Amino acid sequence: MKTLCSWHASRAKRWSMTAAYRTAAVLALMIHFIPASHAGLEEGRVKSQVCATCHGVDGNSVSSNIPSLAAQPKQFIVTALYMYREGKRKNEVMSVFAEKLSNSDLNDLAQYFSTQKLNPPQNLPESNVLAKGREITEKNNCVACHTANLVGQQHIPRLAGQHQPYLLEQLKLFKAAQRGDFDGTMTSAAQGLMSDELEILSLYLSSLNK
Amino acid sequence: MLNRFFLSASVTACLVSSALAQQAPAAPPSWKQGMASEQAQSALHPFLPHITGRAAADLPVDKLKVPAGFKVEVWAEGAPEARSLALGDKGTVFASNRNLSNVYAIVENAGKREVKVLLKGLKAPNGLVFDKGTLYVAERNRITRFDDIESKLDNPGEGKVVIDNLDPNNAAGHFWKYLVMGPDGKLYFNIGSPQNITMPTYNEASIIRVDPKTGIMENFAQGVRNSVGMAFHPVSKDLWFTEHGRDWLGTDLPSDELNVAKKKGQNFGFPFCHQGDTLDPVYGQNRTCDEFTPPVLKLGAHIAPVGMKFYTGQMFPAEYKNSMIIAQHGSWNRDPKQGYNLIRVSLDAKGNATKHAFVDGFLENEKGDPPMWGRPVDVLQMKDGSILFSDDYNGIIYRVSYTKPSK
Repeated sequence: MKTLCSWHASRAKRWSMTAAYRTAAVLALMIHFIPASHAGLEEGRVKSQVCATCHGVDGNSVSSNIPSLAAQPKQFIVTALYMYREGKRKNEVMSVFAEKLSNSDLNDLAQYFSTQKLNPPQNLPESNVLAKGREITEKNNCVACHTANLVGQQHIPRLAGQHQPYLLEQLKLFKAAQRGDFDGTMTSAAQGLMSDELEILSLYLSSLNK
Repeated sequence: MLNRFFLSASVTACLVSSALAQQAPAAPPSWKQGMASEQAQSALHPFLPHITGRAAADLPVDKLKVPAGFKVEVWAEGAPEARSLALGDKGTVFASNRNLSNVYAIVENAGKREVKVLLKGLKAPNGLVFDKGTLYVAERNRITRFDDIESKLDNPGEGKVVIDNLDPNNAAGHFWKYLVMGPDGKLYFNIGSPQNITMPTYNEASIIRVDPKTGIMENFAQGVRNSVGMAFHPVSKDLWFTEHGRDWLGTDLPSDELNVAKKKGQNFGFPFCHQGDTLDPVYGQNRTCDEFTPPVLKLGAHIAPVGMKFYTGQMFPAEYKNSMIIAQHGSWNRDPKQGYNLIRVSLDAKGNATKHAFVDGFLENEKGDPPMWGRPVDVLQMKDGSILFSDDYNGIIYRVSYTKPSK
């Protein structure tokens, strides 16, 4: 069973990294040609075309290792891009893109993606996974910050309907203290969970479609 | 498709079976320490600044309220997460960060105010002191000095280390430091409690002082959960400081504190006794509050008093002289919310302290989430007697001035 579980995860990871590298070089160049502009939805839409290759048109990613950005809280998207730009969160692809973004780029992109409609993946785990997942979110205060429906707020991301492999990867990074985290809130939260609980949590969160 | 179905079903099965089998307890996260079981479903959560700052033009700055004769205005913007403030001899205003990594220098350039990134890549450089030409910066792990800084604003170079290894655990908790220069030429700063409510080690939950000439460090005051506001009384030279009380004791307990340390070696009660009169339900067992120095004033539960200064300028009315201006960052661990303002605390001849309103209007809706549009952090007195205060939520610095009414 264990071998099967880890094979499942590594296969998804390999696929997404190849896809990301293939496009990163081209897109990193394109971002230079985005006209400077004031904060706004239309500016954000134009600028977001660079992001669409990986994160999907309208912020709905089709790659399960790449997060959907649609319906994420605006302040969260700004914060995430800022952390990539400043080296406080690291990813070979995102760090390259974020490096070139101005503060108004961050805010325009966030304005656009936060107002797009999320099309959650249609996963339906077994009922015992759903029940256990819900229990984990309530016992570990996930619902305090990410809200009762796990849709996020302010600087706190939406988890509901996010891709499961992506969620799991982030939880593992937090647990290993390898992911940028202001004040260590998520690191300390994830370190209280067993590895298998992280997987159940990610399955549950991904299945939420409201 | 069949293959995919098989995979997810088998993954699910292996996860549930093994997770249910493993029930090893893990230590609660730092922010969860002391949470009672009935608070397990609490929706209270901390706030994070708008990390790129927000434009003053987009904010209801006209809602800010000050006493009659006073005026509050935006002094500088575009200083994301501006925290502690310091004033150079040549007029440079320095501003620090906590979550971000910069120290800003704000200068007048051809009649225009300009925010420059002076230092970057620092570790939570919250504490700032300017003294005799030198800028001291307290990061989470060390204090450095930048001599003759106002001549080197374009090329400050590397700071010289005053003291290092202040944060050996590099863990979540109250790691950011406030820094003040004492009348004894020593730098005073906090080492906060590493968690909400746990037993601190000997140098944690303390106010520490270090002599920048020798690097010798002393523990000055203990039992201080976290103080991120300190100032020396201009006459008595006593150290006054604000202190944040613990979380999860409810909406009205315990009060955050305004304290005074009249000598080295006093203990202010944490984690045993809160607000001078309330024993901790766990750590207070077999202790009494009489063992500890009580606060001078209870400021309010979770109200988060931060930077403070004694007013010594000539601009404000006479009753402001030697009274304290205190920034209150505002509560997150209570419902409804309170704070998000500046207050003035006056002292009478007997040393009794009284609170007065000073700047209000950031708190829009005490039941809202977020409840506020700005959060005051630190106070700075300018040479003309006006004061500046920072707002880390928006990266804005405001000025408060006073004009005498014409007779």
